[in-house]
Amino acid sequence: MKDLVTAETVSRSFPLDHNDVRALDDVSLHVEAGEFLAIAGPSGSGKTTLLNLIGCIDTPTSGRILIDGEDTTRLTTAQTTALRRKKIGFVFQTFNLIPVFTASENVEFPLLVQGVAAGERRRRAKAALESVGLASRAAQRPDLLSGGERQRVAVARAIVHKPALVLADEPTANLDTHNATQLIELMRELNRNLGLTFIFSTHDQRLLEHTPRIVRLCDGRVVSDTHASTPVRFEIPLEGDRHGQVSAARVS
Amino acid sequence: MGKFLLLAFRNIFRNRRRTAMTLMMVGGGVAGLLLAGGYFAFMTNGLRESTIRNGLGHIQIFTAEHFQRDEVRVLDTGIENWRQVAATVSSAQHVRGVAPRIEFYGMVSNGQKSSVFMGNAVEPDVERNLGFSQNFISGGDLDAKPGSEVEALVGAGLAKSMNVKVGDGLTLLAVTSDGALNGIDVDVAGIVQTGIADLDARYLRIPLSAAQRLLQSDRVTNLVVGLDATANTDRVYDELLPRLNRGSGSVKQQMTMKKWIDLATYYKQVRNLFDGIFLFMGAIVFFMVLMSSINTLLMSMFERTREIGTMLAMGTPHFWIIGLFMTEAAVLGLLGAVLGVAAGNIFGVMLNALNLRLPPPPGYTVGILFHIRHVPGIMIGSSILVIVSLVLAAILPSIRASRLQITEALAHV
Repeated sequence: MKDLVTAETVSRSFPLDHNDVRALDDVSLHVEAGEFLAIAGPSGSGKTTLLNLIGCIDTPTSGRILIDGEDTTRLTTAQTTALRRKKIGFVFQTFNLIPVFTASENVEFPLLVQGVAAGERRRRAKAALESVGLASRAAQRPDLLSGGERQRVAVARAIVHKPALVLADEPTANLDTHNATQLIELMRELNRNLGLTFIFSTHDQRLLEHTPRIVRLCDGRVVSDTHASTPVRFEIPLEGDRHGQVSAARVS
Repeated sequence: MGKFLLLAFRNIFRNRRRTAMTLMMVGGGVAGLLLAGGYFAFMTNGLRESTIRNGLGHIQIFTAEHFQRDEVRVLDTGIENWRQVAATVSSAQHVRGVAPRIEFYGMVSNGQKSSVFMGNAVEPDVERNLGFSQNFISGGDLDAKPGSEVEALVGAGLAKSMNVKVGDGLTLLAVTSDGALNGIDVDVAGIVQTGIADLDARYLRIPLSAAQRLLQSDRVTNLVVGLDATANTDRVYDELLPRLNRGSGSVKQQMTMKKWIDLATYYKQVRNLFDGIFLFMGAIVFFMVLMSSINTLLMSMFERTREIGTMLAMGTPHFWIIGLFMTEAAVLGLLGAVLGVAAGNIFGVMLNALNLRLPPPPGYTVGILFHIRHVPGIMIGSSILVIVSLVLAAILPSIRASRLQITEALAHV
C-alpha cells in the first residue's frame, strides 16, 4: 500500500543554554494510508516532537517528512498551512476547543476555514457529532461538557473535513480509563469505517493493547516498531450508542 | 463571515469586566466629544445666527470702490442709486428683504459734555421686518414716521458716559459730503446693549433719512440682504453677482458683494478657536483609546495563545487571525461608540433641561446659555475616531498573534 507519511532520517534539535538538545535523532518511519498507529514512549522520548513534525507545525533540523508523497520541508508557510487545513486533523491532549463556540460550531470550524457554505457546514458537523455519539450535545459549549465529551467533540472536529491523516497527541491523558478506552475505540472505528489514518502518542500501556501497530521511542530514537498479531477487541460500548456500535459510517 | 463575526463578538465578552472597562473608556471618550462638540456647535451656531440677526445680514452689497480706496469725503464710495440696486436684489429667490445702511462718525453732545460716536443709520421698519434685533436695556426701537422728532438709539456705555436716559435730547455733529460741519438734534428712544463693552461706549443709531440729512447725501454705505435661510447664502450670492454688474438702467457703479462669513471676523476667530480645542480633545481621546486598547488587546492575545495555536495548527490562514483581532477591535469600538453616543445624548438632554447659564466671557456684558446641540456629524465623526483608534491598536497584537510559533503556542499554559 502507498505510504501516507514518510519520515526519512529526521532529527530535531532545540537550543538550551547555549547547547543543542536532540529531541529526535535520525528517526525514519513509514505509515501507510489507513493505518492505526501509536507512538509510545516515556516522557521526553520525542513523541510530541515527532507528531509536530508529521503534522507540519514544526520543521526538522535535518531529514525530511513526506505527506502523501509531498516533501513538506520544501513547502512555503502558506503551502504548509493549506496542507494542514486539507489533509490533517488534530486532537490535542487538552482538547483545545474554542470556549465561546458550541460543540457544533467547534466542529464546523475546519470547514469554515476551508470556505464551505453554511448549510453544508452544519450538515457535516451534525453528522460528525453523530459519529462520535454527541448529536444531543451539539448546542452545548465546552464548559458544559465532560472531559470525555470534549475530547469526542475534538475528534469530530478533527475528522469533519475528511482529512487523510488524524494526529492525536496524548488524547487520553486527561481522561479516566473508561473515557480513554471509549476514545481509542472510537478512533479505531473511524479508522476502520472511514479509512482514516490515525497516529497518536501515548504512554498508557492499557491503550496500547488496542493498537495494531506501536512505534516505541526512547531518547529520540525508534527502539521498536511492532505490529499486533491478534485482532483488537473493543468491549466497552460508546455512550449514546444503544447498539454498542460506533456510527462512524454516518460521516459523509 | 457570519460565524467569523460571531466568534469575534463572543470573544469580546469572554472577559466581561475588562470589556466593560474598555467600553466605558471608549464610550466616555465619545460622550465627552459629543458634549464638548455639541456645546461648541451651539456656541458657533448661535454666534453665527446672532451675528447675522444683529445686523450683519447674510450678504452685504458695496460699491467695488469701497474696498479699493479710503473715502476722501463722507459717502463718496457709497451706493448712488441704491433703491434700484435694492429692487434688483429683492427680486431674487430666497431674499426676504434689503436694508440700506450708512456707517458714519461724529460727535455727540448733551450741552455739557461731548463724545465721539460710531453712527449707524437704518430704515427701522425694514430692519424689523428682517428680524435684525437690538438688545434694549430701556426704551424702544426707532420710529421713523415723517414729521416726528428724530430718534436715536444709544449704546449703554455711551448713555452712561453722557448721563442720558430715554427721552433726553442730544445733538449730533458730523462732516457732510461737501466737507462742511452739520448738526441735528435727536431724542433718545432707547438704550441698547451690543454685548461688546467697547462698542457700547460708542454706539449710536438713527433713521436713514436723518443721517442723509445730516451728511447731506442720498447715498448709502451698503445694502444688507436678509435671506430666508443661512444655507441659501451661496446660492443667492452666485445668482446676484452677475445680475448686479450687468450695468443695467441707471446703476453705473461696479458692485461687489460680501457673504456674512467674509465679514464676521469675530465669528471666524471663535470658530477657529473651538475647532482647535475640539481637534485637541479628539487627539487626546484618540491616543487614550489607542494606548489603553493596545494593552487590553495584548492581554487578550496572551490569554488566548493556545487557542490561536490550535487555530493555526488546523490550517487557519495568518490573515484570518489578524482579521479576527481587527474585527474584535472594530466591534468593540462600534459598541463603545454606540454607548458613547447614547450616553452623550442623554447627558446632553439632561444638561439642556437644567437651563444652565455661564458667566459672561471677558469683553462681554451678557452671560451665555449652556446648551448642547445634538450634531449627527459629531456623532459619526467621534464614532469613526474611536473605531479607527481601536483597529489601529489591534495591529500589533494581531500581527503578534498571527506570527506565534504553533508548537510554542500549543504548549502555552
